[in-house]
Amino acid sequence: MGDKKGRGPRKSDRPGESVAAELKEKRDAFLHTFFKRGAELTDELVTDNRRLRDQIGALEAENASLKTQLASDRAIRDALRKIEDLEREKARLLSTVHEQEAITGRITNRYAEVESELESFANLYVASFQLHSSLRARTVIRHLKELLQQLVGARSVAIYFLDEAARRLSPIASDGVDLATVPAVVLQDGATADPVTAVIERAFLTGVAHVAEGEVTSRPAACIPLQLDDRVVGALVVYDLLEQKKRFITVDRELFKLLGAHAGAALVASHMYTTADGRLPTPEALRAITAGDR
Amino acid sequence: MTSSYSCLVVEDSPMMRQLIVLALSRVRNLRVTEADDGVDGLRKLAGGKFDIIITDINMPIMDGLKLVKRVRTDPTHKDVPIIIVTTEGSTEDRQRALQLGANAYITKPIQAPQVIAKVKELLKIEA
Repeated sequence: MGDKKGRGPRKSDRPGESVAAELKEKRDAFLHTFFKRGAELTDELVTDNRRLRDQIGALEAENASLKTQLASDRAIRDALRKIEDLEREKARLLSTVHEQEAITGRITNRYAEVESELESFANLYVASFQLHSSLRARTVIRHLKELLQQLVGARSVAIYFLDEAARRLSPIASDGVDLATVPAVVLQDGATADPVTAVIERAFLTGVAHVAEGEVTSRPAACIPLQLDDRVVGALVVYDLLEQKKRFITVDRELFKLLGAHAGAALVASHMYTTADGRLPTPEALRAITAGDR
Repeated sequence: MTSSYSCLVVEDSPMMRQLIVLALSRVRNLRVTEADDGVDGLRKLAGGKFDIIITDINMPIMDGLKLVKRVRTDPTHKDVPIIIVTTEGSTEDRQRALQLGANAYITKPIQAPQVIAKVKELLKIEA
């Protein structure tokens, strides 16, 4: 209505021109706005486009990074698997090594045992050989002292023999201690107060050897009863050991057993042979002795 | 080819000698000759060539110290390793023997593994 009113009646060209100008102005304004909006829109689109490109770039970079990470993760997983395999292999090898070590340990121990036994045999062989290598009492006693000194490492020793009539043990030889100072041991069933004498008396009466366990700290270090068949006829006494010899070892104990069993017989036999002036028994005499055995 | 060695054991005690010889019997390719004092030792040295000598110190007629001294002036055996066998109380003898040219010592009571190890060490025989 307004337009109608505004247009009004065309009474002259003046109003028509005015309208056209107005329309033109509106058109120009519209076009201006339109193009301006278009330019703005274009700008916005360009900006958006740039932003999206940047985003795409960033996403591509992120994608590449993720791909790398994924590959790296896979490599790590592979490496971890390999480590697990290697750990298992290591455990298996360690187990084998431990088994081998245990075997080596057993062999080493056995070797040491064999070495010790060999040494024991060698010492026993030498002792036995020397003990019975002579029938002269003097030599037997010398060998006995030497065995104790050289093989066992005794510093001072005494050899006692039974005096049946006086019921006592008398010292017959010594080494490292003056024989004159070695006391006789009166057999009085444990009534003696002297600890050394008590040990000798006990070993003689019981027939059980006294051999110090561990480091030797008291005297006597050892006392070995001398057996002759089922009798005890004397004793070997080791008072002290050499400085570098701190304790008895297995070989010494074996040697003591041998001396306990053989030294008494060696002493008695050598004495009898010496007092018989080395005369041999006749075959008849030996036959007569063994006649009852048949 | 396996080397063989020759050892001279000089010891007046038959028992000790026997013990040392028994121990040495466990060293492969080692031939052992025995002498019962220093003079006998020198006689054996004059009659042969030895790779090692084991000698006691305290011996009658000629002791181990004199023997060591004589061996070190003997052109054939002056470089031969010498092991002396001593008792614990003979520190001075031991030092004197080492000064005279002995290479090692073994203290009594001797133990076979110790003798074997010393001989192998001086002859450079592998265990």
